[in-house]
Amino acid sequence: MAGGYTSKKRVYDRYRIIGFISSGTYGRVYKAVGRNGQVGEFAIKKFKPDKEGEVQYTGISQSAIREMALCSELSHPNIVHTVEIILEDKCIFIVFEYAEHDLLQIIHHHTQSNRFAIPAPSIKSILYQLLQGLLYLHRNWVMHRDLKPANIMVTSAGEVKIGDLGLARLVYKPISSLFSGDKVVVTIWYRAPELLLGSKHYTPAVDLWAVGCIFAELLSLRPIFKGEEAKMDSKKLPPFQRNQMQKIIEIMGIPNKEKWPLLSSMPEYAQLGALAANNPRLNKPFGLANWYNQTIANNKYPPNQPGAAPGSEGLNLLQGLLEYDPEKRLNAEQALKHPYFTQGDKPTENCFEGVQTEYPHRRVSNEDNDIRTSSLPGTKRSGLPDDSLIGRPAKRLKEG
Amino acid sequence: MAASYWESSQRQFWTFSKPKLIAMRSKLEESERSVVQQFPLPERRLLNIYFMQQIQRLGKKLGNLRQQAMATAQVYVRRYYLTVELRRTNPYLVLSAALYIACKMEECPQHIRIIVVEAHNLWPDAVMADISKLGECEFAIIAELSSQLIVHHPYRSLGELQPTFGLETEETTLAWSIINDHYLTDLPLMYPPFIIAITAAFLAVVLRPSQSGTQGQIQAAGLAKALDSVTNAQSSPGSGPNPRVQKMVNWLAESSVDMEQIVDCTQELISLYEVWEQYNEKTCKDQISRFVKSRSLEK
Repeated sequence: MAGGYTSKKRVYDRYRIIGFISSGTYGRVYKAVGRNGQVGEFAIKKFKPDKEGEVQYTGISQSAIREMALCSELSHPNIVHTVEIILEDKCIFIVFEYAEHDLLQIIHHHTQSNRFAIPAPSIKSILYQLLQGLLYLHRNWVMHRDLKPANIMVTSAGEVKIGDLGLARLVYKPISSLFSGDKVVVTIWYRAPELLLGSKHYTPAVDLWAVGCIFAELLSLRPIFKGEEAKMDSKKLPPFQRNQMQKIIEIMGIPNKEKWPLLSSMPEYAQLGALAANNPRLNKPFGLANWYNQTIANNKYPPNQPGAAPGSEGLNLLQGLLEYDPEKRLNAEQALKHPYFTQGDKPTENCFEGVQTEYPHRRVSNEDNDIRTSSLPGTKRSGLPDDSLIGRPAKRLKEG
Repeated sequence: MAASYWESSQRQFWTFSKPKLIAMRSKLEESERSVVQQFPLPERRLLNIYFMQQIQRLGKKLGNLRQQAMATAQVYVRRYYLTVELRRTNPYLVLSAALYIACKMEECPQHIRIIVVEAHNLWPDAVMADISKLGECEFAIIAELSSQLIVHHPYRSLGELQPTFGLETEETTLAWSIINDHYLTDLPLMYPPFIIAITAAFLAVVLRPSQSGTQGQIQAAGLAKALDSVTNAQSSPGSGPNPRVQKMVNWLAESSVDMEQIVDCTQELISLYEVWEQYNEKTCKDQISRFVKSRSLEK
């Protein structure tokens, strides 16, 4: 191109970087405030070039392209709003609205020294808002595929917003590449059983399993199925996540063909039998109802005050979300119509309503304020840029 | 998609009325008057045919790319040249970069190195074997398109219409190729994908592949006849020559689809097939080379 590409918009003209929030394989996220007419606080995600200090254009990774396209397409109160995307100096900057908190941070705060439960009305509000955002995504044929507490933002006004569409995909795009392309999808603790069993034709139902896991985690303050991740083998094939499946079975029992008719067509179906044969404990599962009642008791939700505890409707909703058969699992619309939301107290718009707790502000470090020159942690890549993302270990600063 | 199209960036930002398109283009020409006068170019649709053929050639080199990726690339190119004067760019580089982006969006990603090598082999005088050049052009295109890269195509709508209209295999194939051709007109910048799909399905039934003779290019005359049968069926319901056509017209009457849009789409296509007869690959190639060379855009 004659003269080369120069951006019409410049990050530094519009934003002042206050500090660094987190980093991952994709690049880094910074906190910024607007300048020159841009008002407010922002989170700016900077995609790094493939190689450090790259002076040449190397092509944008497929996952960055997907995220940019989805961010500029989607708009909903419960999805983190994209303010603009700037392509400047061989880097991509996605400017998001700023959210002070995220669910991981909030859960973490409740596990601190004087451990106390998240109030039941807050949980109801969080879940309701989360499901509304998810319903919007699914109506637009988008699967998020990486729902987890760290990806769910909460503003100071108590609005819940789904963030990080880095792994999101359009449902109707070719299915064959869904699994082969990204190899591994969804942080393992929130991964749906059909994915663990190797399904290549999965659906938005994977996101609702994740919502179930998040609901459970909000109640108990720890991940309900905290498995250990099996590493990629030498052939670079996704391994069977034995331990994760085991954790699920310990509570939920072994899935069977009567309850899940398509189970036997799952690629890793054979693994299931082997798993049960070697581990008699799995034949005596704890049961989700037991888990729920114990959690409610341990976290001292008052049993006889309606509204102050998630109640039996909460258990019923959780069972509907953590349903083995993806076809029977509640979808977002059904979940929103569940008596848990429609009976008794209605979910509040502000999830902090009536809450006395002061949640700590997002930690922003000042070590690395120069969005343009900072050096970036190197990561290994192979094959198609970014499509070989494995697991994506999002490093984030530990709170407090 | 039907649900998401209504709020899509395609509908909100990339669908224009005919007068709006004319205004945008004349404004662009106005601001670039000297290059426009210095380097005359063939009619826009003839250039589009040329670009489509080049994209297909590159697609073939990449291992018979999916048609949808090539369609998406064409839409990017059409949108890009709404705001950027063609003569200020190296079209071969733009086509290659558009296809590179489209492959990623349509889930058939290609390594940038392979695209660059194949593009260089196809157009050695116009595209250098330089990854950075293609990457830079990718930035330029995405910025100009405001990162709005999700394209809704009529192919999906056609699939949904197939059972409704009881399309036979050859009819579906014909409708599919009409959809392929509509990317050469302004229709993808003007109408929702389902209007295009309905038009294509309709024409396919009226034209009847067996009667249209040789496979391949559709004749303008045949389409004009098709248009007649559409308007006749509309004006005198029940007396249409073909009962299936009549059935479709009835379906359309009951749906909220605007018949005038279907008629307008058909006319655009007739006009395309008329213009197509003047197509000359060499003229397009030479006229593009003139400004690429003299302005050193290949460097």
